[in-house]
Order: sequence, then structure tokens, then C-alpha cells
Amino acid sequence: MGKGPAHLISDARRGKEEAFLQLLDEHHLPLFRFAWRLTGSIADAEDIVQECFLALLKPNCGFDPARTTLRTYLLGAVRNQSLKRLQRREQGTATEPADHRTPETEALRGEMPGAVASAIAGLPQTQREVLLLAHYEQLSLAEIAEITQLEVTAVKSRLQRARATLRATLGAYSPHTERTI
Amino acid sequence: MNDTELDRLLDTWEPPAPPPSFREDLRARFPRAERPRFARSLGWVLMIALASLTLAIGTGQSGGSLRDSRIVRILSQLYETCLEGLEAWQATSIVAQIRQSQPRVYVDGQLAGPLRYGHGSRMDVQVPGDGTYSITSFPIPSHRADGGLTGWVEAGHIRGNLIEFQAGGKQVRIECNKPIVGSDRPVFAMRRPST
Repeated sequence: MGKGPAHLISDARRGKEEAFLQLLDEHHLPLFRFAWRLTGSIADAEDIVQECFLALLKPNCGFDPARTTLRTYLLGAVRNQSLKRLQRREQGTATEPADHRTPETEALRGEMPGAVASAIAGLPQTQREVLLLAHYEQLSLAEIAEITQLEVTAVKSRLQRARATLRATLGAYSPHTERTI
Repeated sequence: MNDTELDRLLDTWEPPAPPPSFREDLRARFPRAERPRFARSLGWVLMIALASLTLAIGTGQSGGSLRDSRIVRILSQLYETCLEGLEAWQATSIVAQIRQSQPRVYVDGQLAGPLRYGHGSRMDVQVPGDGTYSITSFPIPSHRADGGLTGWVEAGHIRGNLIEFQAGGKQVRIECNKPIVGSDRPVFAMRRPST
């Protein structure tokens, strides 16, 4: 039977590289996906995920296996790091031109994934996080509540609102919708 | 649009794969345990110091003269070995500090590939367009006893949280997120032959 995450972290802190690599191999993909979908940047996502893994090695790391799973803890860490970066980016690019893409223009360019990305990017921050964690990472409402520090009921309502907004925004792509574009 | 249709639409937005260098870059930043190696080096240094002391006391008690050239030569060699051991220990402990301070390598001001760690106090830096340079803070003479070149030259210095040296015509700067030496130390570099 393999070692649990607490053992692996403890081994990694003592300098055992194979323990660190095992943790990395087990968890880096969902973390990278989540960071990329939040920031829209491969370089940022790479940096954020690396920082989160290295933070696990610090003695003051807040991971407590009795309270949460490592995956949930790391997704929370990625969320916090991504938010910090996005806030810094917003402060530094106040004059950036607005994104005028719409589902129609995206469809004209044959960019359905781009339209989905734009629609999700247009959601309020917590709705976006909840949707990404629920749909793409298949997390339970309780796990999402832990990561986003919301009540389960609040997570549920935000998820419903996010999906309703996306239905409206992406309605043009529905197979039942007659395209006029 | 029903739930299934929305889910299908959302699934069209696929993430890219992490860059191929992702795992290796993070691996290079992993702070490995260096203590056993330090302990071994320090152990050797202490053993040599103890042997020197024993020899000196023994020579004194047997009525021999410390001016005896053979004894002086042996003691001098032991002293040199002792100093060398201390230098090696210091150089290795500097590498341990660097490993734990998230070093970033810049070549002529541009971010370059990660620092790679070799044996003991040696580290490798990839200089774009010029090849790989090995660096160390352990003082390595540029000439061998037979007069030939070792390939190593004093190329820069470590100061606070910065390592700066010349590699070919390029300026290499390694920035750490915390100080790694108390006082300035020279850095020795050697261009590694391409394989």
C-alpha cells in the first residue's frame, strides 16, 4: 500500500525527492487546469502550481490531513494565488481595452472554446470559481465550500446562477437555436 | 438549452498540457537534504585537526624538534588539507542555501533556464548560445601542478543574495530570495565541453 499524503510531505521535507515527485505526479494536472482556467495564462498557471507545491515543504504549511484532503487544500492554495495575481494584473492594466467578443463573433471565427472561455470569464469571480471546480474538477459542493470558504447553500446557489448565466450567454450555440449569424 | 447541452458546450474548452519543462523545473527547485554530506566533510576536517594535534604533542613529548623539516612538512600538509576541507564544507553549505532560496538565473538580463545541481558544491548554468557553465564557490586554481590549465577561472562573486559572473561575453546573474553568504566570496567558473 502506498504512503498517504502526510507521510509523503514529511518525507519530502526531509529531502526525499521521490516523495515530492510522487505528490507532484498525483496532483499537478487538476491544479494546473484550475490555475490556467482562472488566470488564462500558461506561465502564470505553471508558476502558481510550482509555488503551491514548494509551499507544502515549508514547516508552517497549513495542510492538516485530519481536516481536509490534499487535493482540496492545494486547489484552495491555487485559488488564493490566482486571485492575488488577477488582482495585481487588474491594478496594472486598468487601461486595457475591454473584451468585445460575443458568442456570435466567436462563432463567426469558429471559436466555440473561446466563446465558452469568454462567457466563463464574464461571470462574477465566485460564480466562476464554483463553476470551474464543479464542472471541470468534478468536486462536491462540500469540497467547493471548503475551497471557496462559502456555505454549501451559497455554493449551490452560485453554481445555479452561473449555469443560468452561461445558458443565456451561450444560447446561440444550442442545437435547438436557429443561427442567424 | 438543457443541462446536457450546456455541459457539452463547456467541455469544448480544454486546457493545454503543462509545458514539458514543468516537472524538471520544479524538480530543480526542490531543496534536497545536504546534511549528511556536510557532516561527513566536517567529520574529516575534525579528524585531520585531531591527528595534527596528536602528532604535534607526540613530537614535543619525544623531545624531537618541531623544526624538523619532515614533521613541519607533514603538519603543513595536514593544515592545508584541513583548510581545504573547511572550504569544501563552506562551499557545499552555500549550495544548500541557494537550493532553499528559489534561485532565478538571468543571462544578460533575460530569464534563463533553472540552475542545475551537480556533485558537492558544483552547479551548472545553461547560457543560451554558449553552452553550459559549471560554477562553484570552492577555490579551484586555474593551473595544475604541471602547469596545465584546469579550465576553471575566477569569474565573479557572491554577494548577499546575488551570484554574478562572466560567462564568455555574457553577464550571468543568479538572484536568490534571501541572502546566502555573510561576506563576499569569489565564484569560479568553467565552460563545460559540449558532448
